Amino acid sequence: MTVERTAEMAQRPAEVKSVNPGIDWRGRALDRAPFLVACLMLALIVAIYGSLQSGVFTLDELNLDTAAAMTLMLAATGQTIVLVRGGIDLSIGGMISLGTVIAATRFTDDPSTTALWALAILALGFGIGALNGLLISLLKLQPFLVTLATWSILNGVAMIILPTDGGSIPSWWVGFASAQFIGLTSPVWMLLALLLFWWWFHATRVGITIQASGSNEKSAFLSGVSITRVNLVTYGLSGLFAAGAALFLVTQTGAGSPTIGKDYILPSVAAAVIGGVSLFGGRGHLAGTLIGAFVLTLIGNLVFVLHVSSYWQPVASGVILLLSVLASSIAEKAARSRVQ
Amino acid sequence: MDLVTVKGLSKRYGGIVALSDATFSARAGEVHALLGENGAGKSTFIQILSGAVRHDGGSILVDGQDYRPANPDAAQARGIAAVFQELSLIPDLSVEQNIWFRHEPRTWLGTVNRGEMRRKTLALLEKYNFPALRPDRELRRLTLAERQIVEIAKGLAKDPRILILDEATSALPAREADWLLKLTRQLAAEGRLVIFISHRMAEVRAIADRLTIFRNGATVAAHDANAVSDNEIVAQMIGRHLDRLYPERVPTATDRIALRVNNFSSGSRLSAVDFALREGEVLGVGGLQGHGQRELFQALFGAARAAGTVELWGKPVSIGNPRQALIGRDGIALVPEDRRGQGLLLTKSVRENLTLSVINRFTENGLLSRQKESDMVKEMVDFLRIKAGTPEQLAGTLSGGNQQKVIFGKMLLTQARVLLLYDPTRGVDVGTKGEIFQLMRDLAAKGYAILFHSSDMPELVHVADRVMVMRNGRIAATLEGEHISEEGILRAAMLETRAA
Repeated sequence: MTVERTAEMAQRPAEVKSVNPGIDWRGRALDRAPFLVACLMLALIVAIYGSLQSGVFTLDELNLDTAAAMTLMLAATGQTIVLVRGGIDLSIGGMISLGTVIAATRFTDDPSTTALWALAILALGFGIGALNGLLISLLKLQPFLVTLATWSILNGVAMIILPTDGGSIPSWWVGFASAQFIGLTSPVWMLLALLLFWWWFHATRVGITIQASGSNEKSAFLSGVSITRVNLVTYGLSGLFAAGAALFLVTQTGAGSPTIGKDYILPSVAAAVIGGVSLFGGRGHLAGTLIGAFVLTLIGNLVFVLHVSSYWQPVASGVILLLSVLASSIAEKAARSRVQ
Repeated sequence: MDLVTVKGLSKRYGGIVALSDATFSARAGEVHALLGENGAGKSTFIQILSGAVRHDGGSILVDGQDYRPANPDAAQARGIAAVFQELSLIPDLSVEQNIWFRHEPRTWLGTVNRGEMRRKTLALLEKYNFPALRPDRELRRLTLAERQIVEIAKGLAKDPRILILDEATSALPAREADWLLKLTRQLAAEGRLVIFISHRMAEVRAIADRLTIFRNGATVAAHDANAVSDNEIVAQMIGRHLDRLYPERVPTATDRIALRVNNFSSGSRLSAVDFALREGEVLGVGGLQGHGQRELFQALFGAARAAGTVELWGKPVSIGNPRQALIGRDGIALVPEDRRGQGLLLTKSVRENLTLSVINRFTENGLLSRQKESDMVKEMVDFLRIKAGTPEQLAGTLSGGNQQKVIFGKMLLTQARVLLLYDPTRGVDVGTKGEIFQLMRDLAAKGYAILFHSSDMPELVHVADRVMVMRNGRIAATLEGEHISEEGILRAAMLETRAA
């Protein structure tokens, strides 16, 4: 009976076949419009900076600025992963503070002891992050609330370990930030390593699963994703990068500080948003975030060479943040109307 | 031997029994239709089979072995894949990333092997003669119908022995729906079991070998498809004989024009449309899918930008956004296409959904009057016969037909008398469909003016007073009286005739 029935049914084949299409350049450009806007913004700021100050277009300047931006870049890398997941991590502020005070109180001139403590800080970062993820999943709580709470807890612990700024960082560890390899300092190499990491990570199944869970959690679940595991890895990585940020930060400050971490919470989100990462999850690339971190850092330089009050720096950061969000939303509308 | 045997399956959600005694058996190589009203337990049944939820009691045997999947992964490992009505796709991934999600071919670095993935995608689409899709397009840029097709591809990518199609044709235009029916037979011929859920009897008739009927969470009967009549099936589905699906059509239109549209254009899909909708009239909008119907409804509702003039009850208006469209007795209300995405807040209660857009009606001196609100909600729940435990039940836990009723209630509470109904019966069971049609005629008799689009042509033929047929963003013809027929609509939709 199947044969006759099938024959009865309309036999019109689909008219068009799916073929391997070329690259949809316009679509891609629209999809990446926020990122392109961030690039333009950075170019503009560099151009202004370069016209006011000599020696901007040199390797030295790149080395200096990258070192200045690297703590934020590391923190923002973790934040980007969390944002792409559709969450937010405020606890990185506490983790950075805690990381610096542990380093400042435990690091010694003995490289092997210090290395062990550095590893312990990284492990602690991952562990606390993973705990964030577990709490969010198991208690079904908002990431904002959970990480706000852990931020406060970590801050308190940092205060208990080292109530005021101080402690000491061995000079050989501090020297790491200015060490040069083939003309580039280690922060620049770290920047390249971060990009390489992302290029790899976002194409792995873990990376795709994190992105998918941020894009539509229900669909991801129906596709077989374990949301608990995703949260554990996502926030774990965020904690790990925050710990990394702390380890780098002490090369810049040479001391521990129980309060310094809060200065990186909102800028890490801002850097990501300027770079085109969506606060609603599912969209964004680290390259954008790193550009955003550069933009925020260079605004500081610009304010300095313009000889205006340093209070203008947050004002300028805010304006740039607004412009970025506006650009993304215009691009999104353009992309949508293109489809209809 | 049967591939799947289910005995006494049950599932409850809190106090609500979704499934009390489901029995089911099916063989490899057949198309097995699952029939039942919305809320009969079909969805719960397939969610259990596909591993999305776990059953409380009863047993499932697959290949004679006990089957109790902990999650969708475990179900897939046993060769069972579901094409969900509630799509399991990721908006920000591309078509091919969605199809192979979590099963991507990989390189030695652990990254996705894009070339291999593209090759496999094209091979899959080719093998089953899929309608054209761009593998690299992001899913959120696709239409509902295209997404449904991707969902089907995703199910097939797992090469399942048992494929569950949950109302997969309801989002598809006619040609793609035909393709899917053919595909379903092809899959059965390959020795797979296809469990097929549809509210369209003609489709079930065309492809099903056997069918199982659910009612109130239990199996009422299983038949060989050619051994049972349509009437018997419907009677078993609803537990009584349904007199007629379509209400009597008494002309109630007056001469008063409720909505007049001149030279109305929106984007590239809607150009220079003119028409008038009268008080008490149900004006059908037909044609092949994608010829401007969606754009017309969205633009009228203010959800898309438009040019041209619109008059409501004789007064020119400009509708810039949905908020303006909604206001008061002279407003416009819309039942949207994608009820889960656009019409309902699934995590809010029935009450909140009903009153969300009309919160002003329940406020006194700036404060919310709970009493007024609950009276109004109760009235609407009774009037529409919404089957919810209490008004506080979450909308997401209602059956499809009841969700659609909530959207109707939400729309009626705005007091707008020009109603835009975009495919209001999509994915709704036969019993509720009849209720919706009756409701439409009742509202028309009360002086409401209704613009009605349906992807199911007989609905237009039997419910509308007049039918406008759209082609390429224009009105190709307007059919009246005895000229309204499926043939007439199709001819106007497909042939190059001038408007009548």
